[in-house]
Amino acid sequence: MGSKEDSIIEIKGVYKTFNGVVNAIEDISIAIRQNEIVGVVGENGAGKSTLMKVLVGVFPPDKGELYCKGEKVLFPKNPKEAARRGISIVYQEKGVIPCLKVYQFLFLGHEDKYEKMSNLNLGKMRKYAREILEEFHVNCDVDSFMYELPLSVQKMVEIAKAILNVRLEHGDNNITSVIILDEPTAPLTIEERKKLFSDILRMKKNVSFIFVSHIIPEVMEFTDRIHVLRDGRLVANFDLTKSKITEEDLFKEIVGKESSEHICKHEIKSNINEKIALSAMNLTKNGCYYDISFDLHKGECIGIFGTAGSGKSEIINTIAGVINYDSGTLMIKGRKVKAKELPYARLKRGVGYFSGEIEKNLFLNWPVTKNISILNIEKILSKFISTMNFKAEKQLAKKIIDRLRIKTDVNADCYSLSGGTKQKISVGKWLEKSPDILLLENPTIGIDVGARNDIYETILDMNKSGISIILVSDDPEEYYILCNKIFFLKEGRIQKVLSPEKFKEVMST
Amino acid sequence: MKTQNRKQNISQIVIQTLKTHPVIMILIALIVIFSIFFPKRFLTPLNFSTILKQFVTLMLFALGPSITVVMGSLDLSYIGIWMLGGILVWILTPIIGMFSILIIPILGVATGFMIGIIQVKAKIPSFILTLSLLVIYSGLTATLASGYTRHVNGYEFITMKLIPYFPSAFLWTIPLIVVAIYIMKRTSMGVYIYAIGSNEEGVRLAGINVDKYKIIAFTISGLFSGVGSIILFQHLGASVPLELNLNDMTTPLVAIVLGGTPLLGGNGGPQRTIFGALTFSVLYQGLTLSMINPYALQLLIGLLLIISIVVSSRGLKGVNVT
Amino acid sequence: MGRTSLFSGWLRKSISTVMPIIVVIVVIGVFQLVNPTFLSYQGIITLIYSSAYFLVAACGLTFVIMMGSFDFSVISLLKLSAIICVLYIDKIGFMVIPIALLICVGFGFVNGLLFAKFKVPSFMVTLGISIVVEGIALYLSKGFLNIMYNKAFMAISTTFIAGLPSILYWAIGTWSICTFIAIRMPFGRRTYAIGGNSIAAGLSGINIERQRIYVFMLSGFLSGLAGILYMAQMGGGSTNIGVNMTIPLFASVVAGGTALTGGVGGPHRTLLGVIIITWIQAGLLMIGMGLNMQFVVIGLIAIVMTIATTDRRRTKIIK
Repeated sequence: MGSKEDSIIEIKGVYKTFNGVVNAIEDISIAIRQNEIVGVVGENGAGKSTLMKVLVGVFPPDKGELYCKGEKVLFPKNPKEAARRGISIVYQEKGVIPCLKVYQFLFLGHEDKYEKMSNLNLGKMRKYAREILEEFHVNCDVDSFMYELPLSVQKMVEIAKAILNVRLEHGDNNITSVIILDEPTAPLTIEERKKLFSDILRMKKNVSFIFVSHIIPEVMEFTDRIHVLRDGRLVANFDLTKSKITEEDLFKEIVGKESSEHICKHEIKSNINEKIALSAMNLTKNGCYYDISFDLHKGECIGIFGTAGSGKSEIINTIAGVINYDSGTLMIKGRKVKAKELPYARLKRGVGYFSGEIEKNLFLNWPVTKNISILNIEKILSKFISTMNFKAEKQLAKKIIDRLRIKTDVNADCYSLSGGTKQKISVGKWLEKSPDILLLENPTIGIDVGARNDIYETILDMNKSGISIILVSDDPEEYYILCNKIFFLKEGRIQKVLSPEKFKEVMST
Repeated sequence: MKTQNRKQNISQIVIQTLKTHPVIMILIALIVIFSIFFPKRFLTPLNFSTILKQFVTLMLFALGPSITVVMGSLDLSYIGIWMLGGILVWILTPIIGMFSILIIPILGVATGFMIGIIQVKAKIPSFILTLSLLVIYSGLTATLASGYTRHVNGYEFITMKLIPYFPSAFLWTIPLIVVAIYIMKRTSMGVYIYAIGSNEEGVRLAGINVDKYKIIAFTISGLFSGVGSIILFQHLGASVPLELNLNDMTTPLVAIVLGGTPLLGGNGGPQRTIFGALTFSVLYQGLTLSMINPYALQLLIGLLLIISIVVSSRGLKGVNVT
Repeated sequence: MGRTSLFSGWLRKSISTVMPIIVVIVVIGVFQLVNPTFLSYQGIITLIYSSAYFLVAACGLTFVIMMGSFDFSVISLLKLSAIICVLYIDKIGFMVIPIALLICVGFGFVNGLLFAKFKVPSFMVTLGISIVVEGIALYLSKGFLNIMYNKAFMAISTTFIAGLPSILYWAIGTWSICTFIAIRMPFGRRTYAIGGNSIAAGLSGINIERQRIYVFMLSGFLSGLAGILYMAQMGGGSTNIGVNMTIPLFASVVAGGTALTGGVGGPHRTLLGVIIITWIQAGLLMIGMGLNMQFVVIGLIAIVMTIATTDRRRTKIIK
């Protein structure tokens, strides 16, 4: 690691816990030097955002030291103090205020420096804004609205705002700032990403960046050093200027190896039927994915693998009916479907969509019984004027709970359940529904290994009973546990098709 | 060459303005249509004075709320401030004399502040909060007046004729509008109101105390309603009605929405409400001249509100609206 | 120790059920003490007359609020249907009833359509529609007071069965059906689902747009029904159903425990809410407070109950 003198910001031995355990970080030490881009990578829930929030003063750390240019200082208590220490952040999303003009947005929160007798000096603000944008080569008019700008330019304006934030808090234009970029490319299309990165590299002369991401190729390409976080700990440090590493090296560090030894028994390939359940032909959504073609056979499980932002999530959301596509054809059970169909219509055709995000699955103020029956309402209707039979509803819930080996009262509100249990119940709904095709997006996000295995087993069971599955996930392990065939996606296009064995080989070399 | 450029620029600006303010075209169209159909009755000074009077009423009621609508909230308390304020003036005038008129802005500020505090702390939708307050205020008004319409003398100077055919209330309205536009366009407060309406979460992330500014915004809205009601009190006959009227309540909203301030906030503001109020007044007056059945007139107003809301809500397709 | 924590847990969970019951008992007790005729036969008949039509209209609004939306047009539709009845009963006889209901359902459909398809906030749509409806009502009645002379029509509400007016049976019947729909029918479950989490509801195979339209149509239907019952009870003349009646209506829905944020409560709760509100009104009248002062009290109740029932765990930003 670099010596203390040339690091602008350095943290040592930072600990943070929330009510005991959730999202904790442990013993983290990182230094950021002049003119450098430091990558911080890790899975969702590895502690990246907690660390960043400690740095910008949203949470106070439990323990740890902060050095500014070698001098020991206190951790900031709020974003303003953080800016005074030279640290500012660009949030993943929600940072942009679309209806403000560019110059208004740049000075948001610092108007007091341009206000005399509650009269804003708009001329001065515009002039200074123009200077700032020129300095960072951001090509836009200060009088245009934020929403009129392309997303990559919006991001650049946000970065400029973060730097300005530090400068204005200091009152010194030559201060070196450390800007945290929290998943900056998440909302961008592939072309916009490239543009953004070339712009960021140009700014490296005056500013240091902490680049938080889980998109490996980007991190590899644009950072000088990489710190890998896993389960709240710093597990690896790479210096890209000194040694060469491969994407796979980094991948292995991010995912870790401790959980490789589970179920992973995929002997059900014989079950695959010749019948085609779903087929896509030249499916395209501009800016997200292009010319996607594949056939999903009955009883097959295919995976669409790619890094975050490769378009895999958009593909699965298109099939689910959450978003629509621009061109191409999508056939479900031999019938062409309209691009603008809503999720309920797709479900009628037999396409179910399950995402790991609890908010998309569960009605948290409802008991388990209702959460399971909402999807299977036709199963609990009694013959008399189709009323709901509460006894049948309870039995249904009990059946699923027993099958998934969940120990909970069926009348318990979902608010009170643990994350793993919630997830199991969400999967359990589909167990009873048994659609023809099930789309899975990050089915085990944010839950522990034990619960994961149970969910994998459930999914494999469903697959055995003839349900075709399409999987999209951030965890490569899931692909060779569940899939028969894996499509490699890069920049919105399918690169190659692999068998699970081959996939495992590629991933572990 | 240069002048040609400038000419192009001007025409571009005009086109751009018309695109963002379609209501101006509607306004012009209405004026032309009514002038053609009723040349003798529409193009008279008396008629314009009536339109201006109507405009003043709408504008003063809509001025405060158009600030809260920019923030994405709704403040329906304006009629309540006018009614309760008016009756308080009637009660106080025999006791403290002319200064009692100042009770209206005081009431306005207090109401706005209270709405702000409750809305921010208890987190309940502002439309139902202000609607309930409005009903409470109208109930209080009728109770205090013990069931009779009360007339107050002594404030005639407010609407005293200064220029023939030109309602003086309009003269007093101008500085209020200017102040409102100034707040929205030239102060940090205005920037924050637009920002909160556009993306509240983002403003919070930028380290700004959103709750404080929301309370201030509601208070400013109450202040404008209060000050406006001083003028309106005399303008509308130095007495207040005792029963809440649906039309009184909604026409200022029509002016705001028609002017082009979207209900989800972030855009528009008092400067647009001017056009909305003007268009509405012209339409109303024109229709009155056309001898249309007065009951059908109300029907048309409702349709106008619906159409303008639907038009202003376009582009919300992805948003989860309740 | 364990038992007390169990009890407090139960109390916290069912506070919204227990509270209205306690309030009802307290309200009745207080007014009974102040005025001993409160619970006399005549007193009860008066209470039934003032709360029955209200319950029918409130049931419709409850479905809308359960779904997380708001319907401002209930009172206006009630008025319109009442006026249609009184104006045309002599010309077309009892055909006015289906016609009035059909018109109200039609307006409910327009409400739902504009809200669900055009994504206009439901509060504003229904406000606009209610102005149109009031306009039509005024246009039809020409602003005159119309008195209902048709005895057969009046009998709908005022026939006494087992010592109680028939409007009570209508209201209880409607309320029972609504409760049945909300609790036992998939329709009700879907309505709760949209109010609770509209994203998850969409992904659970619910056609959100259609369901929203249906709920607004149901609300329109019940408003129309309430209007018919109201007209049959009052016989016209009384026109104190202004816009401000929306607030007592809303207050009785939230006082029952249906939160404005949606997903909880239901028509079964609204019965208690209506009892609380109309009995408070009646009680206030008894101790000498006029109609206007009642609005003040009920407005305050509406605000307090909205604050009490709002679930702040779910939504961060409320405008």
